[in-house]
Amino acid sequence: MATWTWPLSVRANRTVEQHCEDFLDQASAAMAQPERRKTMDMLGLLMPLMRGQAVADFGDFEGLRQHVRAIRQHTLDNLDHYLPKFEQEALSNGNRVHFARSGEELNSIVLGICQQHKARRVTKGKSMVTEETALNDYLLKAGLAVVETDLGEYIIQQAGETPSHIVAPAIHKPVAEIRQLFLDKHALGERELETAADMVTESRQVLREHFLASEVGIIGANALVAENGYSLLVTNEGNGDLCATLPPVLIVCTTMERIVPRTRDALALVRLLARSAVGQSISCYTSFYSGPRRADEQDGPLETHIVLLDNHRSEILASDYREMLQCIRCGACLNHCPVYVAAGGHAYGAVYPGPVGSVLTPLLSSLEEAQLLPNACTSCGRCEEVCPAAIPLPQLLRDLRHEEFRTGLTAGRWRLGLRLHAWVAGHPRLYRYATGLGIRLLHRLGRKKGGFRHLPLAGGWTSQRDLPAPQGGTFSQLYARRQRDRDDD
Amino acid sequence: MTDEARREILTRVRGSCRGAGAVRIGEELNALGRSPVAQLPDPDLAVSFLYHVFRNRGSAALARDRSEAVRVIGRYLYERFRSHKLVAGNDSRLAALPWRDGGVLPRFGIAQDGDQAALSYASAAAAECGSVFLVTGKGNPASNNLLPEDHLVLVDAGDLRPDLDQALELAQSGPAGQARPRGINIISGPSSTGDIALQLVQGAHGPRRWHVVLVGDLAADTLVRARQLAGFTQSEE
Repeated sequence: MATWTWPLSVRANRTVEQHCEDFLDQASAAMAQPERRKTMDMLGLLMPLMRGQAVADFGDFEGLRQHVRAIRQHTLDNLDHYLPKFEQEALSNGNRVHFARSGEELNSIVLGICQQHKARRVTKGKSMVTEETALNDYLLKAGLAVVETDLGEYIIQQAGETPSHIVAPAIHKPVAEIRQLFLDKHALGERELETAADMVTESRQVLREHFLASEVGIIGANALVAENGYSLLVTNEGNGDLCATLPPVLIVCTTMERIVPRTRDALALVRLLARSAVGQSISCYTSFYSGPRRADEQDGPLETHIVLLDNHRSEILASDYREMLQCIRCGACLNHCPVYVAAGGHAYGAVYPGPVGSVLTPLLSSLEEAQLLPNACTSCGRCEEVCPAAIPLPQLLRDLRHEEFRTGLTAGRWRLGLRLHAWVAGHPRLYRYATGLGIRLLHRLGRKKGGFRHLPLAGGWTSQRDLPAPQGGTFSQLYARRQRDRDDD
Repeated sequence: MTDEARREILTRVRGSCRGAGAVRIGEELNALGRSPVAQLPDPDLAVSFLYHVFRNRGSAALARDRSEAVRVIGRYLYERFRSHKLVAGNDSRLAALPWRDGGVLPRFGIAQDGDQAALSYASAAAAECGSVFLVTGKGNPASNNLLPEDHLVLVDAGDLRPDLDQALELAQSGPAGQARPRGINIISGPSSTGDIALQLVQGAHGPRRWHVVLVGDLAADTLVRARQLAGFTQSEE
């Protein structure tokens, strides 16, 4: 492999960036791209169906969900016991264990390890933690060649973009864009590149060279087992296992809330993960790794490091948002969220999009910076229904919106409107009178055409669709009528 | 930096936890019981296991004994590659196979880039999701699971367990699994990806094909029942 030269593209920093302050503009831009919408629509349709089938096939899925939730809660309640226990076991397995308070500290630790080994070439498995710390940019600036090996991550790295989904990072890219990207980036001459299979074959060929030539492999972890110091890695491609097997140095970048007490708890999590993420009963590769290669082994890393990132997680542990630390990063809440499916992941302008990201981003950065995200929610509740960790996402989003209001971040006209609504809603008679009056008025004004194309104070609604004229009274009136009818019967 | 960070993080974590003792924590953990496992699609373990192998886009064959297993492997290699070459780990069970019966020419050791096929001997297998358990070491270098075009796995029917937990227990009870091996690889299909517009393609980085040979005294219709249950016709499998 001595003749292999690393393409310039793996040295390039990201060129496309989004920011969560621009959520609305980014969402509008994404919805105006019909080619990109096709795959997102397919995601929103297919993934819930596939998950639903996998859940039905399992049997007692709700029992499994509640079991894993109880285990995760127990672990977080006793993290002061399990974190040192994991560290001790991982050390005794021959790992070096590092703690990083911030993303910068993690990046600096990883770079230090690479420099210590005079490494120039790094292959990476998919890791949202290193997306969070922008590790690639940090290593690239220091002169290292870093290549992502998960196909989706590789595609967006070549495109200079960020992931738009935590499980399927390139879901937003149509096939034609990927084909052109490969034609532009790979100097492989004339070849067939018509189908997805052709493109997979090409990336396999290019990335195989990287695996064989790199000096450092970096992966994440789906779970860390306190009782024996093993880390769990789940992939369908096997790229993470190649990163954990071929380079002489392995660095596992992870966080403390991945800890579970026992191997059997990690297996319970495995039962939930692939079913929730993509409707598979299990991913193709589920691996437990303990540390460096043993004396009789012919492959495996000679040196292994585990870097545990905090980055505000200890603050989340101490807060009312602790349940967020139960998240297993399956992406089910994204696949079932009408806002995510319509707007796409880049609209969120954050590492973690969708419902999970709308809660996590303000906690990992600040509510000031990410205040729009908790509002990117229709309160439909599907995310909570499908969350394998049973995290009450809609409630946490409401709490963040309440926090936004309480700390004065909400815009003045919204504050006024909300105060007015709260006051009226606090006076039931007035509320019933006002809503009854409003309904009657709208009914009269709209009865001719059956709806409204324009309506003062409701421009957000009528800019996209007509508002149907109300029929038959308010909810309270209909409810009271139904009660009366029932009593008469 | 890392010592100071460690101290700070552990102090913060302690401040948010209740400081319970190890015994009490252990009791509370045990009281949470065991995880429910997936219901099996068929009362027969072998049928359920193979059902999942097919659903996971693997292929499978049956063999009554080790001699037939070698013949099955030989036929597979010839049909796929017009070759009888194979890489196999330094596993005593693999070394003891009657290779001449199938005309197979194994090279014992670690797979290299460019090898077409590797054979592993599973330490255990789980019917719950069609998974085989491989323990890293000289008997099965992890490269053998990952680098070749095709990965073949021998599974003794007696090593089949209903669920992942029991299979892992069995894998760890063998000589290779006893001293916390570097890796325990649970493999449940060929390397695959859906990262290009959700189109499923096999052979993302690792094997394009994953072929399981189940060895034991099994009912003759085991394979057919599993295939039918998985909704595949013979030509699709």
